[in-house]
Amino acid sequence: MLEQVPLQRLGHTIIVTLQGDLDDATVERIERAVTDEVAKVRARGVLIDVSGLAVVDSFVARVIARLVGMVALLGAVSTIVGIQPAVAITLVELGVPMDHVHTALNAEQGMARLRRMWDDTTGYRR
Amino acid sequence: MAEAGVDSALTAYETMIDSVTDYEIIRLDPEGTILTWPSGAKQLTGYSAEETVGQPLSMLYPSDEVPAERLLGELRVAADKGRHKIESWQSRRDGARFWASAVLTPIHGHDRSISGYVLVARDVSEAREQELAMRSMEQMLDAITDYEVIRLDQQGVVRSWNPGARTLKQFTAEEVIGHHVSMFYTEEDRRSGLAEREMAAAARAGRYETEGWRVRKDGSRFWSSISLSPIRDDKGEVTGYVKVARDLTDRREQEQLVQRQRDEILELSTPVIQVWDKVLVLPIIGTLDSARAARLTESLLERIAVDQAEVVILDISGVPAIDTDVAQHLLKTVEAARLMGTTSILSGVRPETAQAIVHLGIELGRLRSRNSLQDALQLALRLVGGGSADERVNAHA
Amino acid sequence: MTPLATAAEPRAPGEAPTLVQITGEADLLRVRSTLRAQAQVAGLGLTAATKLVTAGSELARNIVRYATHGQGVVLVETAEEGSRRGVRARFSDDGPGIVDLGAAMTDGYSSGGSMGLGLPGSRRLMDEFEIDSVPGRGTTIVICQWNR
Ligand SMILES: Nc1ncnc2c1ncn2[C@@H]1O[C@H](COP(=O)(O)OP(=O)(O)OP(=O)(O)O)[C@@H](O)[C@H]1O
Ligand SMILES: [Mg+2]
Repeated sequence: MLEQVPLQRLGHTIIVTLQGDLDDATVERIERAVTDEVAKVRARGVLIDVSGLAVVDSFVARVIARLVGMVALLGAVSTIVGIQPAVAITLVELGVPMDHVHTALNAEQGMARLRRMWDDTTGYRR
Repeated sequence: MAEAGVDSALTAYETMIDSVTDYEIIRLDPEGTILTWPSGAKQLTGYSAEETVGQPLSMLYPSDEVPAERLLGELRVAADKGRHKIESWQSRRDGARFWASAVLTPIHGHDRSISGYVLVARDVSEAREQELAMRSMEQMLDAITDYEVIRLDQQGVVRSWNPGARTLKQFTAEEVIGHHVSMFYTEEDRRSGLAEREMAAAARAGRYETEGWRVRKDGSRFWSSISLSPIRDDKGEVTGYVKVARDLTDRREQEQLVQRQRDEILELSTPVIQVWDKVLVLPIIGTLDSARAARLTESLLERIAVDQAEVVILDISGVPAIDTDVAQHLLKTVEAARLMGTTSILSGVRPETAQAIVHLGIELGRLRSRNSLQDALQLALRLVGGGSADERVNAHA
Repeated sequence: MTPLATAAEPRAPGEAPTLVQITGEADLLRVRSTLRAQAQVAGLGLTAATKLVTAGSELARNIVRYATHGQGVVLVETAEEGSRRGVRARFSDDGPGIVDLGAAMTDGYSSGGSMGLGLPGSRRLMDEFEIDSVPGRGTTIVICQWNR
């Protein structure tokens, strides 16, 4: 189990790094820590990096989807980056609804995506 | 034995009995009324002597589980048999229950009439729970017919036998339970104490695996793969072993496998073409069955990861017919690519295919489609390059 | 019940299966790592292995959630058929069983307020999926994933 929750702050964005084989309790702990942090620092964006996850079962997928929903309610936008190819196919076959989850290939594109989404929610147009 | 002798012997023992604290050792009169209440009984049940002496034995038993009539019946059985074992719930003063193993022994007077009983009971709840858990596991193992999964005690005596073991070794449960596991070994291995050495190794290492000759009921030998794992109690003491075994006699060839895998790699190399930085095209040519479609998806997604491609074009103009399964598969590929962060564009959809897809009621979702590869490429370039912010947002949305 | 000592070492083809006992949520990690190691031995590709581990995680979690005391056993072995290899895993429990199998195998059906995707999703992920459940007696599910 992780000693501490893997959170980092970068400007207005919180970066969450998930890796290894996580047990259910750890996943839920991270979920709570992220929502707490978003509220505390009034973050605008959350970037969830799952490139280190070799398996995402329905439980973890559901927590991620739930987290995205909560982050939205707290007034921030979020994106998942780095879903592995095998994980992507598996999630689709499993049938976990991920429609409202925004994704990007990597952290760099994820940050750009978050900026666009934030501009979008605030009505800003370039 | 004379009545006086028995009685005085019992009285003499009573002080000693008082020092026994983990057993409940009580005397009953011929009707089952409690006569003595030593400290062990108090400790086990929480009742004091004042509450119990002079009361019927049934007060110690929950009436829904062990009704008073049944207890009287048990007393009669003990009187007939001379010694009678009862396993049942007993109640404690605080309302809790424990599983008690009790032995009832009648005391005879000189005219052979019953002058009373001694009841010795012990709390075996823990042992019972373990036994029940073991049994429930054995029930699960019973469903297994293709390999042997059996339990041995710490000496190596067979304690459970499953259908797989029966198939493998031809013995029935009755023929082996209670016998030492070395009965399945060759004469030579038996003499050298192989079974004992294997158990010792399993206890040391936490698990022991081996292969070797074993003997069936009819005396024939077979080559067996065996794994032995120790079962430990709360204190870490080994209380037995689980043994899983199977017949290896018809192990398959390996070269064949390697050859097949080589063929497969060749087939997998459907070209994924990189047409532009971050844009891939997958030209699908020929009929698609589900297996091929699955392999295509896999290699496409791998390639997306390697190239970090933002857009992929799935060109299906070279596919003669698309049925529901294949259409569904294409849509799953599009969704998987989206999860990775990549936008898909379908190109070369023929009118028949379009009709088929829509008639089949397949959810088109956010599928993008262009009827020629050229149009698809143009869209792709807009998405990765000069496209407006809006277009990009929509492309990903 | 005292835990059986088990290791997650993979089993070669034809060898006796590895037994993983489930007594709680923490055992899901062991089920997943055992399946992953076994997938490697059987030569499963990354996608096939990921599907296997995911399905295994779903079925093991169902045992933790729905079987009596969350207890059951998983047996994992290398399967062989002709020249292809695979991983076969058997999930058994002696819990309440499933009364309406048809419903339980349908997307979205859950008695536990969840998404109801574990069983139907696992079936979609696996090459082979067999379920046998007797109300009051327990549930056994056998899954198999081939290397091609
Ligand atoms: N081992 C089991 N023993 C008893 N009932 C089971 C078992 N596994 C599944 N079930 C029943 O089948 C239903 C469907 O299982 P399934 O895994 O598809 O969904 P779920 O566990 O409810 O939700 P999800 O897996 O999406 O979190 C469960 O809600 C439960 O009622
Ligand atoms: Mg489930």
